[in-house]
Amino acid sequence: MLKKLIARNNITIHGVGKKPMLMVHGYGCDQNMWRFITPEFKDDYQIILIDLVGSGKSDENAYDYDKYSSLEGYADDIVEICDALDLKDVCFVGHSVSAMIGALAVLKKPSVFKKLIMIAPSPRYINDNHYLGGFSQKDIDELMETLDSNYLGWSSAMAPIIMGNADRPELTEELEHSFCQSNPAIAKHFAKVTFLGDNRSDLEKLTTETLILQSKSDVIASIEVGRYVHNHIANSTLVILDATGHCPHLTAPNQTIEAMKKYLL
Amino acid sequence: MSIKYQTTMNYTIDYKELLNTSPCGYFCSLPDGTIIDSNKRFLEFTSYEREEVIEIKKFTDFLSMGGKIYFETVYVQILNLSGAVEEINFDFIRKDGTKLPVLMNSVIVKDTEGRHLFTQSTVFNISQRKKYEQELLIAKRKADALSDELKHSNKELHRSSELILQQKLQLEEFNHHLENKNRQLSNFAYITSHNLRAPVGNLKSLQDFYNESTDMEDRAMLFSKFEKVIGHLTETLNELIETVKIQEDINIVHDSILFDTVFDKTVEILEGQILDSKAVVTSNFSEATKIKYPKLYMESIMLNLLSNSLRYRSPDRVPKIHFSTKITNNEITLLATDNGLGIDLKRHGNKIFGLSNTFHSHPDSKGVGLFMTKTQIEAVGGSITVQSEVDKGTTFKIVLKKSSSY
Repeated sequence: MLKKLIARNNITIHGVGKKPMLMVHGYGCDQNMWRFITPEFKDDYQIILIDLVGSGKSDENAYDYDKYSSLEGYADDIVEICDALDLKDVCFVGHSVSAMIGALAVLKKPSVFKKLIMIAPSPRYINDNHYLGGFSQKDIDELMETLDSNYLGWSSAMAPIIMGNADRPELTEELEHSFCQSNPAIAKHFAKVTFLGDNRSDLEKLTTETLILQSKSDVIASIEVGRYVHNHIANSTLVILDATGHCPHLTAPNQTIEAMKKYLL
Repeated sequence: MSIKYQTTMNYTIDYKELLNTSPCGYFCSLPDGTIIDSNKRFLEFTSYEREEVIEIKKFTDFLSMGGKIYFETVYVQILNLSGAVEEINFDFIRKDGTKLPVLMNSVIVKDTEGRHLFTQSTVFNISQRKKYEQELLIAKRKADALSDELKHSNKELHRSSELILQQKLQLEEFNHHLENKNRQLSNFAYITSHNLRAPVGNLKSLQDFYNESTDMEDRAMLFSKFEKVIGHLTETLNELIETVKIQEDINIVHDSILFDTVFDKTVEILEGQILDSKAVVTSNFSEATKIKYPKLYMESIMLNLLSNSLRYRSPDRVPKIHFSTKITNNEITLLATDNGLGIDLKRHGNKIFGLSNTFHSHPDSKGVGLFMTKTQIEAVGGSITVQSEVDKGTTFKIVLKKSSSY
C-alpha cells in the first residue's frame, strides 16, 4: 500500500527531525517548488514532499478524471498518505490550491493534523455577488487559451514520454531536468478544477490552528481574499509578507521562512 | 551614454543602437516585475511611450487575466526554480487594445551572493506563426472531438451488438417455443381428427346395425348407444375447444385421471366396432389406478391402441384385447395386449412408429396413429415399445411416467 502511494504521489522524505511537515505544491508546479524553504526546516522536521497526482513525477496513470474533478479527491489522497506513513501531529503546508486541499484533508481527519499553513490561499477565484475572487469566467477561458497555446508544441514533442517511451531515454532525461511539466490534458483539467471551484463554506468548519501567508500584491489571491480566508477561519493568523506575486516561497523565501518559523515556535 | 566598439574589420558598433534596432523586444525587470529598461522594439510591440512604461509598468500589466494566471502559476515558478524560462507564449495587450502574440525567454541575473537582481527578457513577435498555430489548434481540437466521437460511437456500437446478441438469444428462445407450439398443434390436429373420426366411425357402425335390425328392443338399445356416443362426441368437442384455450397459455396440463374412467369412455366410443368385431375387451388397472397425465393425451393413446387392436384383429379367432397397468422401478406402465394379426418386427423394426408407415393392407390404415401416440407419450417424458409376433398378437408397452409424480 505504502509502496503504491510512494509511486503514485512521488513521496520523498527529507530532514532529520521528528515532527512531520507535509508540504504540497500548488497548480502548475511540483515538489521542487519547496527547494528554497526545506533546508531551513530539515533539522527540526521530518519533511514529506509529494507531487499531486497528475503533476510532477506522480503516476500519471493514477489520474482519474472523476476522482480529481473536485479538490476532495486530492484531500482523500493526503489523508491516505498520512495514514500510510502513520503520521501524527502533522504540520501541513500548502501553496495556493493545496492550501484548500489541506483544509479539506484536515476536515476529513482533524486528529492527524496539528497546524495548517496556507500560502496564498483562495477559496474561490471567480467573483460572486459581493465576493471578489478576482476573476470572471472569461478570464479562466483565457487561461485555457494560454494553456492551449503553450502546450501546442509540447504535446507532440513530449507525447513519447507521456506514453512511457522507454527506448528514448534522452527524452526522459530532458523531462527530469525541466521543472513543472505535466500532461496538457491533465493541466487543463486541474486548472478548471482549481479556478472554477468554490470552497468558501469549508473555511468556517476549520478549528485547527492556521497560518495564512499572503503577499502584499498577488493577482491570483489578493489581500482581500487573504483577509476573507482569515475572517472565516476561527483559529487563524494572517501574515502579510513584503513580497509580490503568487509564489512568495520562491520570490521571497527568507520572509516566508521567517514567518513560518515565528508561527511554529 | 553610448558604448562604441571598433571591430577588427573597422566597423563601428554602437551597442545602444544595436539593442534598439534589434529584431526582438528586450526588457529588464526587477524581481517584483517592474520594467526598468527596454529597447525601442519592445516599446513598439506594446505601442506605449517610454515614459509610460519604464519604472511604471510591470510585464503582467500587458497581459489578460488568464495570461496573468499563467504567468504566476507557470512562468514565475519555472523562472525562479531554474533561473531561466524559454518559449512561453503570451498575448500582449497593446495600448489600443489589440493583441500581439509573443514568445518570451527570460533569465534571472543574480549578484555574487546569489540574490535575484533583475530579470532580462526577450520578446519575439510571432503573429504570423500564431495564425498557423491557431489553425493547428483548431484542427487538433477537431481531431480530439472526432476521436471522442469515435470512441463514443464505438461504445454505442458495442452496446448495440450486445443488444442484438440478446435479441438473437430471445429469438432463439422464441423460435424454440414456436417449435414446441408447432409440435403441440400437430398433436392437437391429430387428436382432433382421430378422436372425432373414431366416434363418427362408431356412429356409422351403429347406424348400420340399426338399419339391419328389425327387433324393436335391439333398436331401442342401439338408440341409447347413439345417445351415448353423441354425448361423448359433444364432450370430446368441448374438451378440444377447452384444450385449444389452455394450450395457448401453457404447454401441457396434467390432469388427475383414473385409468378406468378413460378406458370405459374409450370402449363406449368404439362400441360399434367392438360389437361389430365381437371382440372381448377387458381391463385390469388395479396395480396403478390413477395418474397425473394430460387427459386428452391419455384418451388419445387408449383410443388409438384400442382402435388399432380392433382394426388389426385376426379374422380367424375371437379378438381378445386386454389393457392393464403395472408399476416397475417407480414407473407406471400401460400395457395393451391383443391376439390380432401381429406385426413383422424383423421387417419393419422401429419404423412402425414412423410417420405414414402402414404395415397392413387394411383399408382404414392411415399411418399416423402410432407416430402421434409416440409423440404424445414422449412429450410427457415417457416411451413406447412393442412386442409382436405375426398371427399371434401384439403387446404395446407404454412407460407413462415415474409413479412418484402422480
